[in-house]
Amino acid sequence: MNRRDVIKRTAILMGGVVSAPAIMGILKGCKAKPGVAWVPKHFTQEQAYVITEMAEIIIPKTDTAGAKDAGVPAFIEEMIFEVYSEADRTKFMAALEDFTSSTGYLDLSTDEQVNVVTEAHAKAIEEKPQERPFVMAMKELTMLGYFSSKPGATEVLRYEAVPGYYNGCMPLEEVGRTWAT
Amino acid sequence: MYLNVKAVQENTYDAIVVGTGISGGWAAKELTEKGLKTLVLERGRDVQHPNYPTATKDPWDLPYGDRPTAEDLEQQGVQNRTGYTIRQSTKHWFVNDIENPYTEKEGKRFDWMRGYHVGGRSIMWGRQSYRWSDMDFEANVKDGIAIDWPVRYKDIAPWYDHVETFVGISGQAEGLAHLPDSKFIQPMELNCVEKELKKSMMDKFGRLLTIGRVANLAGPLAHDKSPQRGTCQYRNLCSRGCPYGAYFSSNSSTLPAAAATGNMTLRPNSIVYEVIYDEQKGKATGVKVLDAETGEQHEFYARVVFLCASTMGSTFILLNSISKRFPNGLGNDSGELGCNIMDHHLGAGANGDVEGFEDIYYYGRRANGVYIPRFRNIGKDKRDYLRGFGYQGGASRQGWWRLVSEASIGADLKEAVTTPGKWGIGIMGFGEILPDHSNRVTINADKKDKYGLPTLLFDTEFKENDFKMRKDMANDAAEMLDAAGFKNVRSYDNPNSHGMGLGIHEMGTARMGNDPKTSVLNKWNQVHACKNVFVTDGSFMTSASCVNPSLTYMAFTARAVNYAVEEMKKQNL
Repeated sequence: MNRRDVIKRTAILMGGVVSAPAIMGILKGCKAKPGVAWVPKHFTQEQAYVITEMAEIIIPKTDTAGAKDAGVPAFIEEMIFEVYSEADRTKFMAALEDFTSSTGYLDLSTDEQVNVVTEAHAKAIEEKPQERPFVMAMKELTMLGYFSSKPGATEVLRYEAVPGYYNGCMPLEEVGRTWAT
Repeated sequence: MYLNVKAVQENTYDAIVVGTGISGGWAAKELTEKGLKTLVLERGRDVQHPNYPTATKDPWDLPYGDRPTAEDLEQQGVQNRTGYTIRQSTKHWFVNDIENPYTEKEGKRFDWMRGYHVGGRSIMWGRQSYRWSDMDFEANVKDGIAIDWPVRYKDIAPWYDHVETFVGISGQAEGLAHLPDSKFIQPMELNCVEKELKKSMMDKFGRLLTIGRVANLAGPLAHDKSPQRGTCQYRNLCSRGCPYGAYFSSNSSTLPAAAATGNMTLRPNSIVYEVIYDEQKGKATGVKVLDAETGEQHEFYARVVFLCASTMGSTFILLNSISKRFPNGLGNDSGELGCNIMDHHLGAGANGDVEGFEDIYYYGRRANGVYIPRFRNIGKDKRDYLRGFGYQGGASRQGWWRLVSEASIGADLKEAVTTPGKWGIGIMGFGEILPDHSNRVTINADKKDKYGLPTLLFDTEFKENDFKMRKDMANDAAEMLDAAGFKNVRSYDNPNSHGMGLGIHEMGTARMGNDPKTSVLNKWNQVHACKNVFVTDGSFMTSASCVNPSLTYMAFTARAVNYAVEEMKKQNL
């Protein structure tokens, strides 16, 4: 039984309520963090695992929340299955499968995953191919989900729900950080 | 018999107003304040200030990053042609296109943006508010285009005063003859980069840039008749509805004033589909209503009817009001009803990058931009097209989105995103479209809406004058941004980015004029041949100017009501 099967079977055993990343954590001997697990509604456990780990590589936990803590993986699933057109979804899912298999993503260590995603991103930025690569679709989705989340908007960026006044020429240092909206 | 008489009495008012948008709200306020028992009919659902469902939601309270879903786009695909209106935060203000279809003549796009609810588009409007001048009112007769306006600036100026005082127009007095100042409350502020462009434009071209004139309370109102209205909080979420009442809408302003008189009966879910014309009396006696909830049909009666159902809405009602006297639609002796559709053409201008100002940012989200008043075909300036355009735009710094296409990823991205990107500036033209008889709308009996009512068929296109003007809209913008020292200036002219209508300033289908043979309404917004019907939404416009039209609808509505009530007192109506 390879690791893929282990994940699948474990997920089934646990009634599908524990996500692939959480199971991966268990398999790797890490402590599962409470509150970060999410239950994919449409993605398979493997797809959810790739989405979740990639999102966290694009926006990792530092002294502020990462993509996982901000709920970005579930956001991405909603975008793909409720916002995207059927054609865009088909394209995205094919690209996800292609990326997963061509990189052997499911069998990579965490460090290897970071390298693969970082390299794919660097290549995409440099070459700007006509067809948007999967990593760029993931980056856009992750950033949209993260910077419209509460931690992204309020802890990394600056957000004021009710500014109350306008100052069109304020020193940047007084504002501090980029506005979320 | 007794019951019937009683029913008629119960359904009889002094006045009926059809529609609750900018014009309908004003008609309701003015009629009720003058003591008339007024029935206000709205085809859509009720919306009461300050109950706007998404108004205080934070970004993380809105699903899908505020994007429309595939399902939303199926239901509201036409409304989404703007690219900015069908959002989770605003989609409920726009109609369902499947339930409310219309037809475009093959190959000719018409973008009809609508909201069916109390307040109409006064909830989502852009709030930009500019007076017309005699340059506009005299344009048709001087150019030999269409017909002359039966009104001049002196006729409408006191009514601009009247409505502006109540509304509260924020702006800077500039003393321009062709763009008269309103009765302003305090202006909003330009940011540093916009001030730079303002200075350069004046120094190098003698052209003015001013802060947008906007129906938002940058300072308090000069009256105490709208206690529900507070000052602008700089959230820039106006199109969701403002719980602070900081911008003018029917819901926040005119309808509460009308309600306060005790003379208004507001009836939502009431689709007016016909004006009842009495052949013996030679005038209208009321309207026919289809209840959108129950499907029941009702008749309501009044001495005077104000159609304020939006340009296309009122035109539909008139075209659909067939009688022996008016076989082609009520008041359509001239054959002009439904013709001369105008809008403002857009999608031409320029953008540039700004160097310097890296240590400057802004606080607050200003619900307004800059305005560059028309400078073409004024004085000695003569172009190879008629009329002109104004620009709207502004300067801002790039936000987090810029990093999607930059090299940062991971912890680097989180660090880089905290510093705002470079400043950019953009201005886009809004051009005057000439009235042209061939741009028209007719009733399409073959296609029915969800209520079984016939629908509209649009046959419109941009003409040579528009295309010529667009070249200047793009080139002049680029030239001015270049001259200000901005970098990487990109001009654009995308005539195919929109159809007629996407300016959401549709006008002209029941124009006013001196001659009943060539116009539908007289100078009082009164149907020439049916004196107790007034039409005061954008359909009365004889030409389009290049400025945003709503303020002018307000002024003409108040003036028309004043006239109607005077005529009623004289027993002329």
